[in-house]
Parts: sequence; structure tokens; C-alpha cells
Amino acid sequence: MKKIICFLPFMFVLIVLAACTNNSSTENEQPAETEEGTKETGTTSNGESKELTIAIGSDMLGFDIHNHNNTSTESIHQNMFDYLFKRDENNELQPWLAESYEILDDMTIEIKLKQGVKFHNGDEFKAEDVKFTLERVATDETLKENPNYKQIKEVKIIDDYTVQIITHAPEPSIIHRLSRLGSGMLPKKYIEENGWDYFLENPIGTGPYKYVEWVRDDRIVMEPFEDYFQGKVGEWDKVTFRIIPEDSTRVSELLTGGVDIATNIPPADWERVESNEGTSLKQEVSNRTLFIVLRATEGYPTADVRVRQAIDYAIDDGTLTEFALQGAGIPTLSMVGPGNFGHEASLYDTYNYDLEKAKQLLEEAGYSDGFEMTLHAPKGRYLQDAEVAELIVGMLAQVGITVNLEFMEWSNFVELRNANENKDAYLLGLGNSMYDGAYSVDWYRSTRMEGHTDYKNEEIDQLLADSQVNMDPATREIQIQEIQKIVAEDVPHINLYLEKINTGVSDRINFTPTSDEMLYVPTITRN
Amino acid sequence: MIKFLIKRLLEFIPVLLIISFIVFTLVFVAGDPVALLLPEDASQEDIENLREALGLDRPFIVQYGTYLSGLLQGDFGKSFRYNSDALPIVLERLPATIELALSAMVVAIIIAIPMGVWSASKRNSFVDLFATGGSVLGKAMPNFWLGIMLILLFSVTLGWLPVSGRGSWMHLILPAITLGTGIAAEMTRLIRSSMLEILSQDYIRTAKSKGLRKFLVIYKHAFRNSLIPVITITALQTSTLVGGALVTETVFSWPGLGQLLIQAINTRDMAIVQASVFVIAILVILMNLIADLLYRVLDPRIKYN
Amino acid sequence: MTLIRSKTETPNTQKLSISLLKSLLKSKTGIVGFIILVAVVVVAIFAPILAPYDPTLINPTKMLKPPSWIEGGDPSHLFGTDNLGRDILSRIIYGSRVSLLVGISAVVLAGIIGMLVGLVAGFYGGWVDMILMRLVDSFLAIPNILFALVFLAVFGPSVPTLIIVIGVTNWVAYARIVRGETLSVKEREFVKAARTIGVKNSLIIVRHILPNVMSSFIVISTLSVASTIILEASLSFLGLGIQPPTVSWGGILSDGRDYLATSWWLATLPGLAITVTVLGIIFLGDWLRDVLDPRTER
Repeated sequence: MKKIICFLPFMFVLIVLAACTNNSSTENEQPAETEEGTKETGTTSNGESKELTIAIGSDMLGFDIHNHNNTSTESIHQNMFDYLFKRDENNELQPWLAESYEILDDMTIEIKLKQGVKFHNGDEFKAEDVKFTLERVATDETLKENPNYKQIKEVKIIDDYTVQIITHAPEPSIIHRLSRLGSGMLPKKYIEENGWDYFLENPIGTGPYKYVEWVRDDRIVMEPFEDYFQGKVGEWDKVTFRIIPEDSTRVSELLTGGVDIATNIPPADWERVESNEGTSLKQEVSNRTLFIVLRATEGYPTADVRVRQAIDYAIDDGTLTEFALQGAGIPTLSMVGPGNFGHEASLYDTYNYDLEKAKQLLEEAGYSDGFEMTLHAPKGRYLQDAEVAELIVGMLAQVGITVNLEFMEWSNFVELRNANENKDAYLLGLGNSMYDGAYSVDWYRSTRMEGHTDYKNEEIDQLLADSQVNMDPATREIQIQEIQKIVAEDVPHINLYLEKINTGVSDRINFTPTSDEMLYVPTITRN
Repeated sequence: MIKFLIKRLLEFIPVLLIISFIVFTLVFVAGDPVALLLPEDASQEDIENLREALGLDRPFIVQYGTYLSGLLQGDFGKSFRYNSDALPIVLERLPATIELALSAMVVAIIIAIPMGVWSASKRNSFVDLFATGGSVLGKAMPNFWLGIMLILLFSVTLGWLPVSGRGSWMHLILPAITLGTGIAAEMTRLIRSSMLEILSQDYIRTAKSKGLRKFLVIYKHAFRNSLIPVITITALQTSTLVGGALVTETVFSWPGLGQLLIQAINTRDMAIVQASVFVIAILVILMNLIADLLYRVLDPRIKYN
Repeated sequence: MTLIRSKTETPNTQKLSISLLKSLLKSKTGIVGFIILVAVVVVAIFAPILAPYDPTLINPTKMLKPPSWIEGGDPSHLFGTDNLGRDILSRIIYGSRVSLLVGISAVVLAGIIGMLVGLVAGFYGGWVDMILMRLVDSFLAIPNILFALVFLAVFGPSVPTLIIVIGVTNWVAYARIVRGETLSVKEREFVKAARTIGVKNSLIIVRHILPNVMSSFIVISTLSVASTIILEASLSFLGLGIQPPTVSWGGILSDGRDYLATSWWLATLPGLAITVTVLGIIFLGDWLRDVLDPRTER
């Protein structure tokens, strides 16, 4: 009897524990489908599995394709929405949802659409959808992609499969614009019948994959679209994008076979991913240039071109790419990378570095004792950005420039730039989804930089004005290249390098990252 | 008892009011999100228009009043990131966090009760030293470090458990241990000291002198009595638990409130931040109330006034 | 006045410190904690002398060198180097400054706020007390780290904001103790008498309330310093800790986490510094509680 009594407390503990466990297991059973789903993705190491799991670092920003300018969001959207034009593997623009096009005059382009293209709900894709999609982004000034589409004045429907796109002014990069973020075709009828909010919850497009579910900050699931106009992509029955913000966790998932692709592998783990059996690291030069924006406003030392040049000569881009980036970067003196219209080869894969010259330039500018400046930089946004920034501080110290480095959390950084509160310099990375150099060199337009950097170069302004309405590709290319050459001398920005994309890939699949940083599932195959 | 309950529930009102004020002030000071909402080249006019449309141009008091009246109707504002009402999004994420928190609690209890009791019964022995040292270590180890180490050991090296995400019970083990360790450390210390206090009381001494076997004394009398503070303290740990969940969820990509909150803070999605803080606060207050009630039920010496 | 100056209420400080020292020598963990803490404080104060290198000095030729006692280690870098070739020992030495500065300042700030709120609430009672206690409840209901995150996101992470935010979230515990003590002291006969004969409130506070709350104050403070150091590390992990180039333990630990699998010393050694320091503080705190808290049987 006594023994039983003394065991009573033990029983009590057991019951409490059992109760708690019960509790949590009921929580577990609630999302039964998710559980099943995870089990299935758990078996991705099985070579037969037709499920693809991709680990990405941040969640997408929703399905308003016109109201974001986020590359990683687009890398997911691209599987659900199609553009009128698409770049092929050689980076050449080809008609995609378009059948053919013809330039009628400087401000009008006529596009014939492919017939028989279907949206995920079965509706056919027609001219009215093009009009709806492009006019929405072209006219609503509150949309984030509006600046890249407001050149469009009107989309005229000629017949069900023909549209004319009319621009306000001659628009040489119109085809480039229609092959990127913001020009995925939307279903007019579906949206008008159900409302925009309904569309955001139940998005459909014409793309190879259709939407299944989006568990915020956790996963986005898609499945193949049977009636895809290029034929069903049968390679995968289910594609899951998992959001894993923590780098080391993402790498661990890849190493253990939990995911097939992991984006943005930090340099620390390259060796692990390579040496691990069953995974390898795939690198590709991206279309993203890292650069330092300098204030040219009167009163700042960087208003003097010699100071800007000195900074350029003091920063050793080679050390940045070899050391901080572990080789995952290519030094450049221009923002326009290879593959872009207007790329200037002589400014690529090269950099200025000459400490003596830098000191001499500073002396000429009257700063032989150096000066103090502030550098704002984001942290964790670009590959090794913090390390690069800290290295730059060290490099500039060698010529006597004292840099106060201020790391900023991304939202604050965006606010600071939008409010023109930027000080002497800030570090930024800029991709070019248009693959048209005009988009990059527009950063030197004096009206755009007024109050921001106050950089003004009349020669550049003239070239920009000319090239913007120049419909002749040959001379436009020369104009854009000319701007880059001036920039290399006048240094409104210190162009640093093009960063590489570092993706971990399981050996059971074939995937090579592309310079546009997209995760286009039709290019991913089983091994 | 009922009177006490009513009084406590009434006290909720000013507390929630103060929390709403603190949260709202912080968000107000954060500045308006308009710059993040609009395209880079938005004109001043567009900015003003949107500011007006969102009511951000009005004075603080007016905005707070609007916010409060919204709260009373269960309207926590709209998440601009997800383009829908904030509260449902937050509530949707709650089960995952509660699941994690409960499991962590179970882990903590499994570790803490035997450790605490054992070390108290053999004070200053090797076991006691081990338990004390262990609990200090558990407290001194940052969550994220432990989590990453556990992944490296159990998932990558040994391959026993999945790395991250939510799904089967296997996914729960590592995050629960990560989050539970810190709590266990705290709990072990508390159980130990509360056991020690009780063991030194007269009736235990009497029991001992009566010749009952030592371990029986400990478990029958002391343990049962020392459970009272443990239960209440467990409830009081809710705040710590939710705080720890922020970190643990990030390490393990656990789709709970913590991850949502971190993302919301990073993207300045203040409606989500406000709603989450509120939901968490209510949760903590409720748990504290339960703790209070339990304490009163279990320990009849406390009066209800 | 002699009525007020009762012996038990204001112990002779000299006697107190001697008896403290005696009991410290008796407690093994107390001594260990004390030594650790003194060592850390000394390191923090003399960092420029003790550190072999400038903690922010980047060296491209010596990146990711393991600690000197390990194969491949560089004898000139005892604890190895990080991914930018910076000396980890120097970084840990300098990091102690910020970690201690934040820990101690935040606790002092919290103590001051808590003391004021507690005194006001206890002395005035009534609706003032009601409101202040609801304020306490409100702060208790929001997890520290959550409040800190929102606050730092709004005001930007820096050492002063970090101190303020931790101070502003941690005062609650102090307020409760001071209020409780004030309430009980207020009811005592001699205090009532003193007040009727016109003794100033400030005198009552200094003579009767402060000595009584000091012990709890010290115990809570030591533990707060420990949890503040860990909180700072967690905030760094979430991206809102102290930003480089300022070196803090939490920052080094958090930056090194990507290297846990390949170059363990980057995160493990600062982690060890945090653990040992916290261990020391907790040991010291435990011993102080045993000594100062009259309720604990010794």
C-alpha cells in the first residue's frame, strides 16, 4: 500500500506529461495535408521522386506582379506568368506569348499574339488581356513598377490576337521592357469578375506551373499546368519553394537532401557543399553590379572629381573579389554587364588601383591630410556586403580617408535613400532585369539625381536625351557606351564588381543558375 | 473567487489600453511607410495623396483614436505586405507557435523536475553540482547557437532528424529542445530552491524522525508541495517562451508567429507588428491569470482578496 | 530622530563589507564567480593594452586561421582569425567592453526607473499606484526581446538605443520590489511617527527603504546583467544588434554562425566568453542572494 502511495506523485507527473504531449499532438494533426506534404518532400533524395523542392532565403512579396521590384519574387512568379517576349539561353530576345512583332513607327509597335494560349482557369489569352495588364501598370502611378512602364501611352486592340503598343515618345527599349518583371500577362476577365483581392489569393496566369498554396514565410507550392501552350512540363509533379531565411539552416537542408536547390550559399559553406556527396555548387555571373554612390553636392569633398577618382584608385577591387567574395565577383568599371545592350567590353573585368595616384589626386584636391566621410551600407542584402564594406574602410584609411561605416537595416536604408538623407557615400547593388544598358546609365541623369547626389554632367545628359528616343540600335549602343566611358573618368559612382550567383544543387537534378537570378522550373530536369 | 476573477479581468482593460498606446507610439515614431510603398521616383504629390488616403497626415491623437476604435471592432489594420487584414494572419500562425511552446515546456519539465528534485535531495553532492552547472550553462547558451549546433549534430552529421520546417513530430524535436533548454535551466533552479525550502520545514523533519525512508519523504511531501510554485512559474514563463520562439523559429524556419513578426519588423509591416504584440500580450496576461488562479486553488493559505 | 535610527534598519557599512568578504571566502562558487567577473572587468578596462591587435584590422593573407594550438594555427594569433583575417582574441577582448557597458548601463538605468516608479507608487498609493502598476503589467506582458526588436527597428541599432531599450524593458522587476518594500515600511509605527513630526520623505527613503531593498536589488541586477548579454547576442542574430565596426560578443558570435561547421572557433570562442561571464555573474548572484536574502536558510 505504501509503495502505491509513494508512486502516486510519479503517476501525476506522467499524467501531466501525457496530457501535454496529447495537447501538442492534436495541434499536429490539424494540418494533416501539410504533414503528408512534408513527408513526401522528405523523400526527395529518392531519384524517382517527381517533386522538386527549392530553398530560398526570403518570402515573395505577394502576387501583385506590378507592385514589387523584387528579383527573388519574380524568380518564383516566372513559373506562373508568361511575358510577351523572353530571352533564350543565348540571352537573345525571342517572341514568347507574342508570335511576331513589327515596328510601325517610332512610337508604335504591333504585336501578333500566339493563338490557343490558355490561362490556368481555361480562358484563352487574348489581346484584351495585354491591354489590361500593360495599361494597369502604365497608368497607376502608385505601383512600384510604374516607372518602367509609364512610357506606354496606350494599348490598342486591333483584333483578338493583335495589339498595338503606343508610347508617349520613341521608346527603343520597349521589347526589353516587355520581357521582364511587371509584364507577366494577367487574366482580364477573371480579375474583373472576381475582383483584384480574389486574384491575389487565387492567382492564375498562363505559365507552366499553377498556384496550389502559399503558406506565408513557409512555402509556396505549385503544380504543372496541363494545358500549357508549350506542352505540359511533365518533369515535376509538384514544385515547392521553401522559405528558409537562416543561411546555415538552408545549407543543412541541402546537405541532408531535404531540398534539391538552395539559393545564396555563403562562401563559408562552398567547400562543404562541394565536398558533400550528392551536392555541388553552381556559380554564374549575375547581372547585378555593386557600386558606391557618391555625393557630388557642393560642400562634400566628393564634389571634387579628383577626390572621387582618388577613392576609385584607392579601392582594390581585385582584393574585394578575391578575398571578401572568394572569387565570386568580377571587377568592373561600368554598371552595364555583359549580355546587356550597350555593354562596353573595355570597362569589364578591369579596375583602377594605384595608391600613389590616389594620394597624389587627394593632394591636388587639397586633401593631403585626408578627410572624414560617412559610408552607409546594407548588411546581409548582397553577397558578403558587410565584409566588402569593412574592407573598403580599411583601403580608404591607407590614403588618409577616415570612413565612418554605418550599417543599416534594409528598410531604414531604403527610407534614407528615398528621403535623400544619404551622406557622402552608400553601397548599393543593382540588377538590370531589362538587359538594356539604358536602364543602368539612367542613374547618371542629373534631373533624377537632383537632391540625391546632385551629380550633373551635361555631356551625359545630352547623350541620355539622345539615346532615349533613338530608334536606331547601332547608334544608340554607341551612345550608351560613350556614357559609360565618361563615367569611368568622372566617377559619379565607384563601380566595384558584378557579383556571382552561388546556388547549391543536388546531384539528382540538373540546374544551372542564370544571370537573371530566376528559378525557372522548366529548365530544371531530373538526372 | 468570482469577485477576484472579475477584479482581475477589469484590470485587463487599462493594461491593454497602455499596451495599445505603447505600440501605437512606437509605430507612429517609426514614421510612415509611404516611402516603402511607392515606386522610387514617386512624386511628392503621390506621396501626399497616399499619406492622406492612409490617414497618416492627421495629428497623433486623432490617429490613435481611430486606431483604438478600430481595435474595439477587432480591426487591427491591414497588412500592406500581404494586402489583407492583419489579425487573421496573426491568428493563423498562432497554432504553430503554441505547438512549439508546449513541446518546449514538455522538454523543460522532463529535464527540470528530475534534475531539480534530485539535486535538492542530494545537496552539495556531485549531482547537485552537475545540475546547477548544467542549468547555468543552459541559461548562458544563446538559443540560436544551440539550435544550429543541434542541426549540425543530429541532422547533418547523424542524419536522424529533419533540419527545419513544420510537419511530423520529428520536425518538432530539435526546435523544442532548443527552446526548452533555457526554460529547463530556469525551472531546475526554481524547483531545487523550492524543494530545499520545503525540505527544511518542520513537518518534513518530523516525518524523517518518524523513520520513513528518505526518498519517500522527499517524493511524498516535499515534491508535491514544491509543485505549486513550479506550476505557477511555468505559466509565468510564457513571456520568455514567446520571446525565445522568435529566435528558435528563425533558426528552424518554423512557420509561427515569431517568423511572421521578424519579417514584419524587417519590412515595416506595422499592422502585423501591432496585431502580433497584442495577441502575445493577451496570451501572456491570460497565462499569468491562470497561474494566479492555480496558485490560489493549490495553496489554500492564500486569500482571494 | 533616535527613534528612526534603529540598528537593524541601517547596518554599519564597514561591518557589512567585512562579513560579506568572510562569507565570500566560504562559498566556492561565489569566489569563482567573483574572480571571473573581476577578470572580465579588468580585461574590458585594459583592452587596448591587453589586445595584441587592433580588433578591426583586416589581414587578407591570414584569413580563417585556426587557434594557435591547433594544426595549421598561426602562433601570433592565439585564438585564430576570422573570415577577414582579424584577430579573434583581440576582438573578444574589445567585445567585452561593449557587452559589459551595455549590460551594466542598462541595468543601472532599469534600476533607476524601477526605483522611481516603485517609490512613487508605494508612497502615494491610490490611483497613482493603480496606474503605475498597470504600466508594470503592460511591460510584463510584452516579451523583452520583442519590445527591443520593435524599438531598435524604429530607432536604429546602436549602443545608446540598446541601453535605453533594455533599461526601459527591465525596470519592472525593480519597481515591484521597491513598491512592496515602500508599502510595508510606510505602515511601520516609527515611520508614521516620523512623518507626523515632519521628517522629509527623502530621508525616510534613504534611511529605511533603500537599505531594505538593496539586497533584492543587487541579486536582480547581477542576473539582469547576464540576461542582457545574452539578449544582445540574440538581437545580433536577428540582425538588430550592435552594428560593426563596433565589436560586441553577440556580434562576433552571430557573424561567426555561418562558419560553425567549417571554422568552429569563430563562433565558439566568443560563445565561450559569454558563457563563462554569465556563469560567473550567476554564481556571484546566487551567492549574494544566499547572503543578502534573510528568507534563505543558511
